[in-house]
Amino acid sequence: MNEDEAYEYVKGTLKKERIVPYQPYELEVVKSVESCINCGLCINHCPVVAAVGLNRFSGPRSIAVELSRSPPEFWSTADTIYLCTGCGTCREVCPKNVDIPEVVNLIRARIFEHRPDLVPKGFSMIREVLTEHNLAFEPWADLEEKAESRDMRLEKLGLPYVEDRRTDTARVLFYPGCQAEERAQEVREAGKVILDYFDIDYTLLDEMSCCGLPAKLIGDNKTSRLLAEKMTEKVKKLGAEIVVTTCAGCTSNLSDLSHHYEWGIPTVHLLEFLVEMIGLERLREVMDHSPRQEQVHVTVHDPCHLIRHTSRQIMDHALDILRQLPGVRVTESNAIDSCCGGGGMVSYHSGDVANAVVRENLEAIHKTGAKKLVTPCPLCTAQIESNLFKAGSSVEVDDLTVFIAQRLPKKR
Amino acid sequence: MSDSEFDVVVIGGGSTGTAVARDCAMRGLKTLLLDRDDIASASVGTCAGMISSGLKYRGEPEIVKMCSSEVVHFNHIARHIMSKNPILVPILDFSTVAGDGDYVDSYAEYAEERDVPAMLFLTPEATLEIEPLVHPNVIAGVYYEEFFINPFRLCLLQALDARRHGASIKTYCELVKFETFENEIKGIVYYNRITGATERVNTKIVVNATGPWAHKIARLAGVPLDLRLNKGAHVILDRRIVNVGITTKETVDGRWVYLFPHENTTLLGTTALDTWEDPDALVASYDEIEYLLSSIETVIPSIREARIIRTMAGIRPLVPDWKVPEDQVTRGYRIANHDNGLISFIGGKLVMCRHMAEAVTDLVCRKLGNDAVCTTHEKPLPGNEDDVDIELLSEEYDIKMHVLERMRARRGTEITKILELTKDHPEWKTTICTCEPVIEAEIRYTIREEFPQTLNDLRRRLRIGTGPCQGTSCTFKTAAILSEELNLEGDDFLVDILDFRAERWKGIRPSMRGEQLVQEELAQGMYSCVGNLDQSDVDYDIKPWEEGS
Amino acid sequence: MNLECDVLIIGGGMAGLVAGTVSAKKGLNTLLLRRGQSATANSSGAIDIIGYMPEVSEPFSSPKEGLSTIAGLYPLHPYSIVGYSDMVDPDRVVDEIAGRVRETVNWLKKNLRKTVSPLKGSFNHNIHPITILGTTKPTCLIQETMYSESLQKDDDSALLFVGFSGHPDFNPSVAAKTYLEDRLSFGEPPRKVGRCILETAPFGKSYNISSIEIARHLDHETSIQDLANQLKRPVEQIGASHVAVPPVLGLKKAVENKLRLEELLGVEVFELLGFPPSVPGLRLQMALESIFRKSGGKMLVGHEAVSYTRAEDRVSGVLVRAPRREIQIDARAYVLATGKFIGGGLNGDENGIREPVFDLMTVTREYHSAEGILPTRFTNRIAISPLGQPVYSCGLTVDPYFRPVGEDGLEWASNLFAAGSILAGYDYSSEKSGLGVAAVSGYSAAKNVLDYIGEVT
Repeated sequence: MNEDEAYEYVKGTLKKERIVPYQPYELEVVKSVESCINCGLCINHCPVVAAVGLNRFSGPRSIAVELSRSPPEFWSTADTIYLCTGCGTCREVCPKNVDIPEVVNLIRARIFEHRPDLVPKGFSMIREVLTEHNLAFEPWADLEEKAESRDMRLEKLGLPYVEDRRTDTARVLFYPGCQAEERAQEVREAGKVILDYFDIDYTLLDEMSCCGLPAKLIGDNKTSRLLAEKMTEKVKKLGAEIVVTTCAGCTSNLSDLSHHYEWGIPTVHLLEFLVEMIGLERLREVMDHSPRQEQVHVTVHDPCHLIRHTSRQIMDHALDILRQLPGVRVTESNAIDSCCGGGGMVSYHSGDVANAVVRENLEAIHKTGAKKLVTPCPLCTAQIESNLFKAGSSVEVDDLTVFIAQRLPKKR
Repeated sequence: MSDSEFDVVVIGGGSTGTAVARDCAMRGLKTLLLDRDDIASASVGTCAGMISSGLKYRGEPEIVKMCSSEVVHFNHIARHIMSKNPILVPILDFSTVAGDGDYVDSYAEYAEERDVPAMLFLTPEATLEIEPLVHPNVIAGVYYEEFFINPFRLCLLQALDARRHGASIKTYCELVKFETFENEIKGIVYYNRITGATERVNTKIVVNATGPWAHKIARLAGVPLDLRLNKGAHVILDRRIVNVGITTKETVDGRWVYLFPHENTTLLGTTALDTWEDPDALVASYDEIEYLLSSIETVIPSIREARIIRTMAGIRPLVPDWKVPEDQVTRGYRIANHDNGLISFIGGKLVMCRHMAEAVTDLVCRKLGNDAVCTTHEKPLPGNEDDVDIELLSEEYDIKMHVLERMRARRGTEITKILELTKDHPEWKTTICTCEPVIEAEIRYTIREEFPQTLNDLRRRLRIGTGPCQGTSCTFKTAAILSEELNLEGDDFLVDILDFRAERWKGIRPSMRGEQLVQEELAQGMYSCVGNLDQSDVDYDIKPWEEGS
Repeated sequence: MNLECDVLIIGGGMAGLVAGTVSAKKGLNTLLLRRGQSATANSSGAIDIIGYMPEVSEPFSSPKEGLSTIAGLYPLHPYSIVGYSDMVDPDRVVDEIAGRVRETVNWLKKNLRKTVSPLKGSFNHNIHPITILGTTKPTCLIQETMYSESLQKDDDSALLFVGFSGHPDFNPSVAAKTYLEDRLSFGEPPRKVGRCILETAPFGKSYNISSIEIARHLDHETSIQDLANQLKRPVEQIGASHVAVPPVLGLKKAVENKLRLEELLGVEVFELLGFPPSVPGLRLQMALESIFRKSGGKMLVGHEAVSYTRAEDRVSGVLVRAPRREIQIDARAYVLATGKFIGGGLNGDENGIREPVFDLMTVTREYHSAEGILPTRFTNRIAISPLGQPVYSCGLTVDPYFRPVGEDGLEWASNLFAAGSILAGYDYSSEKSGLGVAAVSGYSAAKNVLDYIGEVT
């Protein structure tokens, strides 16, 4: 055999032995499991274990110390590995910060490539949408209908319509994420309202595309890489100084993209932008003239992708912001930072697990006596809202971006 | 023949001893196998488990041929406890392998019968793609394939098969003396360490398969035997850190050193030093650990970032060729047919054990006038009969797939016997060892069927305690199950825990660094701080390697 | 966003939270950083002060007794530090040491009273609760749910060990046997033990049941009644006066559940001391965090101190890393309570032991430099030994004000203090002194912080 034939033969044998050589960027991730000392602290905190029990989901400990040790056996983790919501609680409580959520993604990527028959069938639709439209949500076919839906939401929520702004010299790229683009349009609109109010020189993308996180969570690295490269191209072409988003998942994922693809610019959630760029004092001044001063009792939900995948400080900012809004009284629930179950793509194939995870939140929310829950993530909003509704609750759920935008005075 | 009379007594339950017991029993001889400890408790448990195709012995063509055919036999009789070991030799400097062309030829000669390719040459790009941890300056790669076998399961299955054919297997029975009459063996006396009783049996033939103790056994029988004892150590690393086996000669002293992904760990080995140490007190030395790390570092530069979980050391009983460097001593085997009925093994490697057994069993049969032929290469070992569908079993029994996949690697088709236990005892589906993993049903089955006495014996059969936590998490849980099954006294439960912690510590301590410091702090926190076992006044025996603390 | 505060506590276990609470109670703006969950959260929930020293073959009957021994033989033991400050009269050293520890013990009892982990026990004697192995260990404070007044006093006491089917963390038969043999060898009650297995399937399956799911189950449902129903017969059968359960009685409602069971069964019920993953450890952690927050302290979870900036003789700021953000925190005083190897306060390899945040000097138990040591040389051949493993006595050495010192023996920075298992000079596993040293040193470090801030203001 010549060298090329030899290489093909070897690849064939490795494939038969189920050995998939690590990519260099995977090596760091998988190395982190070497720090696991099998102490089980993660089991005490994992929201999925709490929701469905250790037998159904053998939990982060098993992922770190058992399931990630032998790549030829990764296929056999398929009955466990897809139940992780990716909340990162395990990593946060681990004395060694073992990066279990990323290890989960790595294993899912291996299964995706080598045993596609074991990938949950519930992913097939979203995979189609991602491939066909570069989005995680099926886009509106009729743009007029999309605009109508948007206007209905704006009216119901009392938000003004601000024209889309697209320029290639803007300092800020506003990236609402595909859920806000195609479903929860009010979040996209609210983001524009806020940026516009403070005269921020922002732009939207010419053409919206997904940041790639859902593809990564499915294990479809090829698609997530493609989407990442698309984003990179767009961002670099625009030459903006900062990217601002209103979606929690996008916040953490864009940080990764910015780092990995060397964008050289920060990527932040709108809450961070408000506190760090605009400032709480300025916000307070503005809100003193808010047209909405009525008393409202709210509680908050901390999205995992903000507090655990980016920084806990971001939700400290959220509370600080809420303090500047007149009439708003906040009661923190004792499950404020408990995963809503919407992450990890679990709801696409095991809705019962996702909904079991959120149950603890529902109880805690009711205990606060609040009338409304606010959270800065469209995914968490949707997940909690639908579950509260199913439980017959009267608690309303609003995206925090919308809640803030509603209270801005009319722009002069 | 009465219960205390045997055609042949085999001393030593390692790979060779169990193979002999199996062959003798299969040929209809009334066989007794004794080991003063557990099956596979000595040298065979400290090797890498690779059944070498004989590549290294290219200067001894007969041995190469034998090794290759034995690999073929093993693939036939024990496929379920075997796995492929694809190996890459990264070349940084051609001069180091300049004279090794005959490796390639020697390997190619018998490659086909083992269903492996001849050695293949790869570009540096291909090499780095297959193994990204290889030094970036690699200029070429050589690829070939070997096989692993689980040495513990091999020995145990050979013993169980022997028992199935009527042999008596007695572990924890230590030979005390030979009874002779006119310089011929008439019987042996042994001490049963479990019952405390001294027992004797009649026999005229004793096979000495005691490895590094062979010369001591021979001395007991009043005959001379010389051995050249050679220590080999390994460092064991957490998880499979490389994708394929890596071997290199670009080491500290030009010897071949390997880094093999094996089951769910990685083995780094091995050293070869003349030794006069007590095999029972043997631990890997700091020098050996640094030698191995420094040696593999040339081709895997990031090796020191990997987590070491333990070390192990054992002794090779080499043929007594003196006045030459140890690497020139043959790794082949010799049979010493002493005149008094004792037959001793010297030398040999894991891959040869069946062949060695056949040779000696032929000899024994001739002595006894038995003309049965050897069938050990034809009849599969228990569990090898068929493939196992993990996905189906997982659904049927509501047990996670990965649990079953690891169980399959030990049990083959016997896996269903264990799963059936969970029908009456669903609570036995509980995972006890979280690293491997091992469920309670397999532990109880093993205790009932495979005669373990201690947690360490269970470790050989189940791999409990062999993961990164080295038994931190499972020692007390497994000890409780053992105590229940064997109906032990309260003290024995605590002694079992202390014994297993001691045995694990023996391998952890020499390499103590990095994550091991963290892991052991947790173990101390559990067993000493909470369990207060350091202050327990149970009857704990100081182990040979703990002497002189 | 960068932050400023008066006191920055680095580390969120017992030492850090005690120090933080003391500081916050005095009105100082106190911020606590925590990377991962602490070793405290995985502890058995018992607070050891001092159980043994190698020189003494019996456990100390009281913390006071142990502290006198330590003061005499180990002047550099963390407990001894307060006794050897130059403000203390040489003949009052033992009193000073004992006084500080007593003060800390009482502080803990008082402050944790209304939390999910109220404590029982006193500075005046060590108690000997039972572990899940059936052994006993000396300790000072235990959670109320673990306390039994009369078990070892009543001549007729009979103890029932209770296990849960499919819960591998506790085997009642084996524990019962071990415990009984221990009691018989001492000739002390209880002289009768029994065991039983209960069914609890929080998710409908009777296998792979974790401690935390039993505890949460008992928090949420009215399943205590169900347990009591299952226990009635075994209690009657052996004539049990006491019932021992594994430490799973609840996360937030453990005390109520214990009392309810006692009410329904007419016997004393208590939890055993258990292994990780620990529910009582989590309770203790939650309790400490709640008092810290209630005192006005702020926690920043998931944040790791990675490096620092210095201005003259002070630490001026610390660089802190969150999963995908980095900030600078400037404080007037800092307390380093990052733990030992588990917590990451110390790292070690074949080139020595290091402190990763400030690169402070590390020492061995003999107070030689630990910076080039080979850890294996500082281990005992015997794995589980009353002499411990010397490598775990390595750590930082501090001045009488709990400030880590450099090679010159002087404080490395005027405003950097250290507390907890990062300190050298003791082996908590063999001494049974872990959470005690953490609490006392955290308490003492905080007092020094207050003095320091008072001085510079």
